Amino acid sequence: MGYAAARGGAEAIVAAERLVRQVREEGSSPQLGVDQVEERMTLAVDRVMGEAGLWAPELAARALRQAQGDLVEASHLLRAYRSTRPRLARAVTVSSDELEILRRIVPAYRVPSGPQLLGRTLDYVGRLLEVPEPRPATDGATRAAAAEGATAATAAAIATGDASVPDRGAPATPVTQGEPEPPPGQNGSLSLPDRRPRRLLDLLRGQGLAVDRRRCDDPEPYDVLRQPVRPGVPRSARLSTMARAETGALVNLWYRNVLGPDGYIHEITLGEVRHGRLPVRVEHPVTGRPVVIGAVRVTEVEAIESLDGPDEPTDLFDVGYGLCLGHNERKAIAMANLDIALERDQGRSLLEQSVLMTTDGLESSGFLEHLKLPHYVTFRSMIERKLAARQAAAAERDRPDLHETPLDGSRPSEARQEDDEAVPPVAAGAPA
Amino acid sequence: MDRASLGARRGLGREERAELLALAVHRDVVELADRCLAGAPGTRVVAEPSVGTVPLCVREPVVSERFVVADVLVTRAEVEHRGQRGWAMRIGDDLEATVAAAICDAEAESGEGLAAEVEQLCRATDRRRSVEAEREWAELAPTEVQFEELES
Repeated sequence: MGYAAARGGAEAIVAAERLVRQVREEGSSPQLGVDQVEERMTLAVDRVMGEAGLWAPELAARALRQAQGDLVEASHLLRAYRSTRPRLARAVTVSSDELEILRRIVPAYRVPSGPQLLGRTLDYVGRLLEVPEPRPATDGATRAAAAEGATAATAAAIATGDASVPDRGAPATPVTQGEPEPPPGQNGSLSLPDRRPRRLLDLLRGQGLAVDRRRCDDPEPYDVLRQPVRPGVPRSARLSTMARAETGALVNLWYRNVLGPDGYIHEITLGEVRHGRLPVRVEHPVTGRPVVIGAVRVTEVEAIESLDGPDEPTDLFDVGYGLCLGHNERKAIAMANLDIALERDQGRSLLEQSVLMTTDGLESSGFLEHLKLPHYVTFRSMIERKLAARQAAAAERDRPDLHETPLDGSRPSEARQEDDEAVPPVAAGAPA
Repeated sequence: MDRASLGARRGLGREERAELLALAVHRDVVELADRCLAGAPGTRVVAEPSVGTVPLCVREPVVSERFVVADVLVTRAEVEHRGQRGWAMRIGDDLEATVAAAICDAEAESGEGLAAEVEQLCRATDRRRSVEAEREWAELAPTEVQFEELES
């Protein structure tokens, strides 16, 4: 489809943007601080970083605030920013075994090697909307202040009679910068070395129950930022693509395959679900040796699948792998499922194409959003074609020869068929 | 005396120092670098401090192959100070602290001026890291769980 440009409307566009800024920066409550977003909305920040493919919590929080909480838009902003920055160093590979756990569960095994650590989770508690208890009736001053649009801090000060009540945007207590206090006595029985427990896959391998697909060679990882991603790419490209995919798209693709019409994915058992930190390592420019410059949080999942295909070793399991930035278990679980499904599928279905071509949030949302742009010229040409077709049909109906009886006694429809046969056929799909 | 032996004399390797300066508190490293500069004017920026990315490349356990998970935002700086090359890279967008870390790196490498204080800052950063790790683990440890199997 061809597109025609449109122009104009600059004043309206500026006015519309101003309305958005008003909501974002003005309003009756204090503007949301970037630090608040980063500290309190961690899952949203993690998701934005993951889908943007950039670890930058402060910038992700800033993007989220700017996008008014729109995760895809925030990812877009962050990815666009990333595209302006150069790569400053080559990657020094880190092993997934270096992951220092903040949370680790092994649904497949009750007593795995190392701890099952719930970490920060609401997985096992009821989830109800927490609505504040009704407040006692406020006095007239507060009601009056609220009615006049006073800030929350002012209203609180009026209500309590304490002018020192802090604004919601400011920390209640000063942040101390000195030496950290020693930790409280440990309540648990775990020691620090437990933070890198052996994985369940090792246990399966030790029992000879897992397909061993470990490679002896060490191919360069596919860089999806610099090379096109199309079906047939190596597995490293698929993993990178899924690590940056839109969470909802990945989950939907998984679910459609488990319960929907495609059925390429089987329900699996999760071996490992981990949230933790991985070191970031670069090469020191003087010594050439690796340096750890910090760490990023990631979610890692191993998905165990029981092999049952006619051409598969049915006495073994195989394992899919998922790892993405931040704490995003839904995404990592879907990724691990899709990884093993792709391995088993071996390109027989359209699954690889679906994973590679339809799960990027920016691409899908960008295409969808562009539909809102002016399509006047395109649509007008479509209308003109419809009208032309209608006129042609009307002219065909009004042809006098169609209503006259031929001298040879044949019916008008037969005469028309002969006329049609005299016209060279038009190839299917030829442009109109 | 070569650079490596200078570093070894004080016990901290060059990579370890770079690692700890990368994690040092912004205010602490900037304040120390300011004093390093006051003691030895003529510091030169070798490479313009810049904000960019490094890829996070992970070797996964199933096939033992590498893949790029994402990029990490970093700031890099390189200076010449007291005749030594100082280098630093920190996660995030922080030109000031990264330049400061590079100055401290060169100061320590020279073995002159406030080199001992740079060493102290690194050791304090290491202690802080250990304390934070212990504190974090103390919070996490009570969430260790052993589910029971129900007999049918």
